[in-house]
Amino acid sequence: MVKKISGDDFQEVLESKKAVVDFSAGWCGPCKMLAPVIDAISSDLDGQVDFFNIDVDEAPELAAQYSVMSIPAVILFKDGEAVSVAVGFRPQPELETWIRDTLL
Amino acid sequence: MDRVDIAIIGTGPAGISAAITSVIRNKKILLLGSADLSAKMRKAQEIRNYPGLPAVSGEALSAAMQEHLSSMGIEITEDKIISVYAMGSYFALQAASGIMYEASSVILAAGVTAAKPFPGEEELLGRGVSYCATCDAPLCRGKEVIVIGFSPDEEKEAAFLAETASAVTYIPMYRQEVQLPETIRVERARPAGIASDGQKRIVRTQEGTLTCDAVFVLRESVSAGTLVPGLETDGPHVKVDLQMRTNLPGCYACGDIAGKPYQYIKAAGQGNTAALSAVSDLDEKKDS
Ligand SMILES: Cc1cc2nc3c(=O)[nH]c(=O)nc-3n(C[C@H](O)[C@H](O)[C@H](O)COP(=O)(O)OP(=O)(O)OC[C@H]3O[C@@H](n4cnc5c(N)ncnc54)[C@H](O)[C@@H]3O)c2cc1C
Repeated sequence: MVKKISGDDFQEVLESKKAVVDFSAGWCGPCKMLAPVIDAISSDLDGQVDFFNIDVDEAPELAAQYSVMSIPAVILFKDGEAVSVAVGFRPQPELETWIRDTLL
Repeated sequence: MDRVDIAIIGTGPAGISAAITSVIRNKKILLLGSADLSAKMRKAQEIRNYPGLPAVSGEALSAAMQEHLSSMGIEITEDKIISVYAMGSYFALQAASGIMYEASSVILAAGVTAAKPFPGEEELLGRGVSYCATCDAPLCRGKEVIVIGFSPDEEKEAAFLAETASAVTYIPMYRQEVQLPETIRVERARPAGIASDGQKRIVRTQEGTLTCDAVFVLRESVSAGTLVPGLETDGPHVKVDLQMRTNLPGCYACGDIAGKPYQYIKAAGQGNTAALSAVSDLDEKKDS
């Protein structure tokens, strides 16, 4: 499951051991295509990694803080630290391998 | 819109051949490209190595292929594909018209273009360099942007960006007169590279350097890797095996986009192979 959070809830990401954060927005085509892919990966990795979605329009300061210039941007967090970024749509096998290799 | 069995992107000899074979094999197809087929085919004065048609002109070969398509009732959908998303069990094809087409498999037959990316462009893609104004304009609110436009068509994208960005500079890569709102600065410069200093993006030109927050590079066609995220490429070409399969299951490539030599008959032959592979993979999927 992917949890939709706002900028105020970002503490949850920082407190998570392993988190995947999908920075996106409602108007963005590639983001819409990526959503079901992330959703499927979140089921595969249920209980091992926390998944979050943030709307950049609602959290511009977070987008700026993590230098999100183009969306979708998926950022992997380990113990509250951003460790890797993927920008743009990726097919599920590629994205899932990257998440496993980086976080697990 | 109904999902087709095979979407074919491109109407050169590769795409046309793929379409013909797919239809003979009873697949439901969507052939995307231009009613004029291919400029590269039309422009050839005399083609001397197409078996059965000695010294045929590009115009005549195009006409023969058009005739072949219409005799089989194959229609061309005139639309430009911007992105192909591999969704797992199907592909979603985002078109310039705004339509999202769906297909169980995709054959890439889009040819190659000479346009080389600027130094630094691909490294900064998504980090201050964008190919899609419609997609990234809302992120440019209050920001300074530079638009490098390769055809007059891109002027409307620049005008669209000016609605959200605080300042837009337009660099035309063509000679024609530019028609833009006065709020947009037009800079006749020759870009040589794009860099970033962490905060700002820097466009180096032969006339000097320009700084901004984001650079939009808008070309008539996108590279294979950009067209299909996740696709394995080798320079401008898609990596394929001898059956024209790519690294993405259900996605095939043929013709110039699949590598050299750049030849009509090779394009047509690979189009045929790509279609047969797609058909056999689809039939296997259905049986299992
Ligand atoms: C002047 C000239 C003379 C030549 N002479 C010869 C010759 O004598 N013999 C020979 O064998 N070869 C010759 N060639 C090479 C030949 O033209 C190419 O190898 C051949 O056209 C490749 O076919 P293709 O189907 O792969 O791609 P192309 O013919 O390039 O067709 C690509 C098609 O895809 C469309 N397209 C591209 N991107 C998209 C998109 N995103 N969405 C939708 N549609 C898209 C384009 O509009 C185009 O219709 C010549 C080339 C030129 C330029």
